[in-house]
Amino acid sequence: MEILVLAKQVPETAEADLEITRDGADVEREDLVYTINEWDNYAVEEAVRLKEEHGGAVTVLTLGDEEAEDVLRRGLAMGCDQAIHLNDEAFLGSDPATVVRAMVKALGGRRFDLILCGVQSADQGQGQTGVLLAQALGLPYASLAVGLKLVEGGLVITRELEANTLEEVALPLPALVTVQSGLNQPRYVSIMGIRKVRGMAIEGHDAEGLDLAGQVGPEAACLAARRLSLPETGAGAEILSGSLEAVCARAAGIIREKGGLK
Amino acid sequence: MPARIPFWNIEAAWVFYLLAALALALFGLGLALNLARWRPGFAWGGFRAARLKAVLADALLGRRIWRGDVAAGLMHALILLGFLGLFLGTCLVALDHYLVSFLQGRLYLATSALWEVCGLALTIGLAWALVRRYLLRVPRLERRPADALLPAWLLAIALSGFLVEAARIAASGADWERWSFLGWGLSGLFGPASAPAAHAVLWWVHAGLSLGLIAWLPYSRLFHALAAPVNLYFQDEPQALADLSLPPDQVREFSHRHFLALDACTRCGRCVEACPSARAGEPLAPRGFVQDARRYTRLKYSLLARIPWLRQRQRQELSTRPTIDPAQAWYCTTCAACAEVCPVQAGPIELIRQVRSSLVEQGSTVPPLLAQSLERLAKYQNPWLAKKGQKAAWAKGLDLPDLAKGDQAGLLYFVGCTTSLDTRAQGLAKGLSAVLEHCGVEFGTLGKAEPCCGDIARRVGENGLFEEQREDLSGLLADIGVREVVTSSPHCHRSLSHDYALARVRDGLAGPLPFRARHYSQVLAELVDQGRLVFPDGLAVKATFHDPCYLARHTGEVRAPRRVLGAIPGLELVEMADHGRNGLCCGGGGGRMWHELPGQGHLARARLEQAVATGASLVVTACPLCLIMLEDARKAGGFEDRLAVRDLNEVVCLALGLEGGANPF
Repeated sequence: MEILVLAKQVPETAEADLEITRDGADVEREDLVYTINEWDNYAVEEAVRLKEEHGGAVTVLTLGDEEAEDVLRRGLAMGCDQAIHLNDEAFLGSDPATVVRAMVKALGGRRFDLILCGVQSADQGQGQTGVLLAQALGLPYASLAVGLKLVEGGLVITRELEANTLEEVALPLPALVTVQSGLNQPRYVSIMGIRKVRGMAIEGHDAEGLDLAGQVGPEAACLAARRLSLPETGAGAEILSGSLEAVCARAAGIIREKGGLK
Repeated sequence: MPARIPFWNIEAAWVFYLLAALALALFGLGLALNLARWRPGFAWGGFRAARLKAVLADALLGRRIWRGDVAAGLMHALILLGFLGLFLGTCLVALDHYLVSFLQGRLYLATSALWEVCGLALTIGLAWALVRRYLLRVPRLERRPADALLPAWLLAIALSGFLVEAARIAASGADWERWSFLGWGLSGLFGPASAPAAHAVLWWVHAGLSLGLIAWLPYSRLFHALAAPVNLYFQDEPQALADLSLPPDQVREFSHRHFLALDACTRCGRCVEACPSARAGEPLAPRGFVQDARRYTRLKYSLLARIPWLRQRQRQELSTRPTIDPAQAWYCTTCAACAEVCPVQAGPIELIRQVRSSLVEQGSTVPPLLAQSLERLAKYQNPWLAKKGQKAAWAKGLDLPDLAKGDQAGLLYFVGCTTSLDTRAQGLAKGLSAVLEHCGVEFGTLGKAEPCCGDIARRVGENGLFEEQREDLSGLLADIGVREVVTSSPHCHRSLSHDYALARVRDGLAGPLPFRARHYSQVLAELVDQGRLVFPDGLAVKATFHDPCYLARHTGEVRAPRRVLGAIPGLELVEMADHGRNGLCCGGGGGRMWHELPGQGHLARARLEQAVATGASLVVTACPLCLIMLEDARKAGGFEDRLAVRDLNEVVCLALGLEGGANPF
């Protein structure tokens, strides 16, 4: 089974004190740590598990700058067999449709039985890349997968809908599936594991090589970020301050008042 | 003239030679199989007298067996010396028979008497061993069929030996045979007429049992008699760090040191009694782990698997038979209690670390919380959920020199991740800073540039991450030119002094580390010794000291913290049941601070029970991990009214009146 998995490098923001840049168009990236997009990590894990169980090969693909190679090395360390790097700073700031156009060119007619990717990215969160790629390649797709089973003649996907509803759908192969978090428990990737794949070749493409010079990046994008802002502190929130003891005592008091402790 | 006549009354001696050849062949095969496992990576490294001394003391005299269990020490000494005496006796007889004849007359009589003593010692020792195991039912001893077979077999050899002798004496009746006093006494069992026939039968029984033992030895637990001395000889040889220069596929799962230790194990079970995890009812039992690993590696690294049809069987067995249970490996706190009590220095800490390395590299069974902590360590250089800048937050307002920014000070205080980031453990850092300042010691920190020393990565088997952290910190220390380091944590101390030194050796660098790292208790003790840390007022409290494992056992430092506490007037120090090098682990080491395990026991609570039993109202410790674990257990276990838990620095500050306020105890 030939599997392609898309992985994006994103800044880790969950614990960061985000600051907006002076021009308001981006966040300060200086102190941010970059890592694989959480949803894509589940997709890579699922791809490698499918390969381990059913055989075949996994190709991991990313689009980004030089640094994004870390995501590919990580994927190779997890068990992917090949890596494709759409490696050009010009790609940064592209909209999803452009990203997909570049991917399709780089894949150049290669066929895969299954394409997996995260349902969305942690930074932009547009959730379009996967479905647009399915569209561009003419593949059936399912989104928001929290369960994936390979059966005779195709896939059975469990989708996460609203209000705790699950939906089971069947797809013929080849297909594309976007993966919700919690699909599996991604394996730990050790430093030695990454060192082991240091020498593996990575297929690289830049905008020019794909005949896309001038057609990518923010200029070619159909939308542009005007201004970022941090959410304002709402009226319902009470920020406790003071010494640790005072904060804890107050917090315990509130929990008790609201009936949280009986 | 008194002398031994070999093969007296025995016909068809060629049968004996045939059996002996067979036994030796089986012995040789077993030995070869075992040595083949030891060989890869084995380096003799030249003769060292100190190592030989350790072998003589620990193997021949059984120093570590006597320690803590005199009954076991006596039993082992009787069996070992009896066995060795008889073995040497048999060698002498062979020498006398085949090469030079010298065992005659008085010399023969004297040696005969000596053999009687040896035989008696062996018999008593074996009987005592069986009594301990099956009548006294010493809890740490196992009672499986094989556990009875070996001592019973040896006992049968000893007893049949005496009976052969008695029958011989009954048949020949020479008066000088009195020197074989036991045989002489037993000779009344045989009538003169039946004696020769009984002798022949008993002789063959004795010979058969003895040859059988020789053949069985390398496959049995008795192989420890050969493996343990070798393991003891190499006990101080550094356990190999991951060899980064080797191509990844050539890195071996286990090293010869692991195999040596596995073969040295006698399943005595002292480790099970000492292990805090096993004591708390967790699934890890060091002995079981070692035995599983032994079975697994004997199968996996068997020389016989080079034969194609045996290789098939080996593969099949490897896939079907249960092997090491990797989940157990995560329960180890690396406290080294097992190593402390192991008579043959085969405590499985390094084995467990090795298994963890394999699991970490494989990735999918790493406990999720631990995986998260390691990922954080890789990204933020600390296992806690904190960005780099926060590492210096505890020292806000203290205005400490920042050596990473070019400030100067003779002493670097390496604060460590937990001490800088955990609110409870920060008390240690603030306390130490206040004490050092009080004593006029100039010191600085690395501020927010301080990386992790890599301890957690190393303990959980994340070798690559340890190397990364070590390279970062070593580089930083070298750039600044640091010569003296003091650490909050005994874990950082162990890492900086021991593990960094090992890495230096592995990397082929000459000379010692460019800096000396000490734990803060050692620095405080020195200040007390120098008269720079004095306590005019004192602190009235009954206190007990919880020895951090990495201080007491890994570093061997039990004096320094007690020296400091002893200098405080009014402070009465009482000891818990397990203290010093036998201290009981709080459960926070070996990476366990950073994850939760199914069926996890209350290790720190068990420790506080011991503290309560002393009647002390204060538990003092000298490690951020111990401090957090004990404090949590104090709150969760209902000890709040009975005990206070403080870091040594906090106690010193209180005694010096640096904290202000009244005696809180």
